[in-house]
Amino acid sequence: MNLEIRAAIEEFLYHEAYLLDHHRYLEWLDLLTDDIVYRMPVRVTRERREGDDVHSVAVYFDETKASLEKRVRRLYVRSAWVEENQPRQRHFVTNVMVRPTDETDEYAALSYFLVLRSRGSNHDLDRIFGQRDDRLRLVNGTWKLARREILVDEASLHAINLSLFF
Amino acid sequence: MGSLKPDHLRTIREAMDRGLLPRWVLTDPDIYALEQEKIFARTWQFLAHESELPRPGDFVTRWMVHDPVIVIRGDDGVVRAFLNSCSHRGTLLCGADFGNQKVFSCPYHGWTFNHYGELVGVALANQVWGPELKREEWGLRPIPRLQAYQGLIFGNLDPAAPPLTDYLGDMRWYLDLIMGRTGGMEVRGVPHRWVVEGNWKLLYENFTGDPYHVQSTHRSTVELGITPNRTLGADRKGYQVVLQNGHGVNVTLYTEIPERPFQRMPEETWPLFRRHLTPVQHDLMQRASVFVGGVFPTLSFVSPLHGTEGDLYNFLNFRVWRPIDPCHVEVWSWFLIDRAAPEGYKQAAYKGYIDSFGPSGTLEQDDTEMWARVMQASQGWMARDRTLQYQNVMNYLMGWGRVDPDPGFPGPGTAYPGLVDAVSRSTHRYWFGLLTDGADGEGDLG
Ligand code: FES
Ligand SMILES: [Fe+2]
Repeated sequence: MNLEIRAAIEEFLYHEAYLLDHHRYLEWLDLLTDDIVYRMPVRVTRERREGDDVHSVAVYFDETKASLEKRVRRLYVRSAWVEENQPRQRHFVTNVMVRPTDETDEYAALSYFLVLRSRGSNHDLDRIFGQRDDRLRLVNGTWKLARREILVDEASLHAINLSLFF
Repeated sequence: MGSLKPDHLRTIREAMDRGLLPRWVLTDPDIYALEQEKIFARTWQFLAHESELPRPGDFVTRWMVHDPVIVIRGDDGVVRAFLNSCSHRGTLLCGADFGNQKVFSCPYHGWTFNHYGELVGVALANQVWGPELKREEWGLRPIPRLQAYQGLIFGNLDPAAPPLTDYLGDMRWYLDLIMGRTGGMEVRGVPHRWVVEGNWKLLYENFTGDPYHVQSTHRSTVELGITPNRTLGADRKGYQVVLQNGHGVNVTLYTEIPERPFQRMPEETWPLFRRHLTPVQHDLMQRASVFVGGVFPTLSFVSPLHGTEGDLYNFLNFRVWRPIDPCHVEVWSWFLIDRAAPEGYKQAAYKGYIDSFGPSGTLEQDDTEMWARVMQASQGWMARDRTLQYQNVMNYLMGWGRVDPDPGFPGPGTAYPGLVDAVSRSTHRYWFGLLTDGADGEGDLG
């Protein structure tokens, strides 16, 4: 594994988290390829022998670039109350593992995340954690996110809404 | 009842008589305790849709407020529901959300139960047990009443409760309309679940009685054209229909049959509407835009139009407002769609659902912020004072004594035109009646 590539991908993920935490969603959109597949399936609790705990149909997000753009555009509207007053949020991204793929310009990156969000003087924090299975693509010398599968670790979420991105 | 006094209850009634509701009922721990006993232990609560349990052995686990419940389709095809708790020493029996099993074994001491709730296996039965264990007395504890309507399975903890059909009353007509219209609905996926800040009554009334909030809370989605502007214009007319037992429904109709009738359902399903609806229902459904309503106490539904890539799709979203404590609710949100709809339509409608409702939905996101704001401002003494010395009441005066019902509305119930608070006022009355065992005379509250 090329250490320079690993460092560049880590830098990409940290930069992305920085943009998200600073509500710079329009700039975040620029990090995504036009054919991005952005999914967040529902996690469930099952008997182990009955199969996977990632639901195959139920999702929180199943987005294209166009639908993400629409979600982002909404957040900038004055009456998007989830951003008014603006919550404070922090994406902690760790445990990054980078692997080459069959495509020369694409790398797989797995990372863990913990997102905490605070609103006003409220002591009830939103708390969301899990892992992200990403595909990063080098487009004209710039890294872009081409695919993201977000696995959240709770079956019943400890967040009043998912107005933010992961 | 804690420190709750007849005077406090009288204060609630006097406020209701003026179209108001004291704010302290949102946060008061004694009211919450009383609600467990008088409301949640006596009313019909939604557990599951039949399509979640298609095969023998299929089960889902649910909650009736704080009681864990397992709903199982037996190998005889019959759906039963039990307290999801081992009869031996109370262990949570099944930890899975759903699945298919022949028997349910308790990990603690190894007792095993079948689809009928019968105790069929006892660990070391021959070595350590004799006639003192009468197996027939140690089955799972059944939910006393279990009945279904339009595929919706409800449970009731009160063995003496009136039948579900009586409890639903005229709501059945509307459930026939939105659920029976093409021959039946199915659940897609599993419910979304998340915890929001809010008292369950506030959330129930947000869906069931409060179309007024849409213009402000959801202004951003209207501005962006994600949702049709529901502010009533010349082409649409809204009604709020007061039903029995705290139920209600808001119906938005086009004044003329639109180019895409039947809530933009695909054309191949249109003949089914004719087959499954009465002529009156059929006419109403042709002109329908949005339905939003609720079955008291904790079930709400919305049948809207939404989409992510330009076109709008119809779907049915059911939700249970499961109280966690006076100030928190775990929301359970189901996506349902007509079984007869083409798969492509179902997929597009599901995308419309996650884009609008559920924790990631752009409409619901802003609702949750509002509920949290109400709760944040309701914890102090001025809001919680039971004597109302600070005028700490909520306003349900819209249309009060001014707007009369429209006898021309085709459906059952009392239908008011436009935006009114009639359903919330009726819900409060019913809630209060249950809380006080139907007391309405001055002396009865003591
Ligand atoms: S508690 Fe279940 S077997 Fe003992
Ligand atoms: Fe809303």
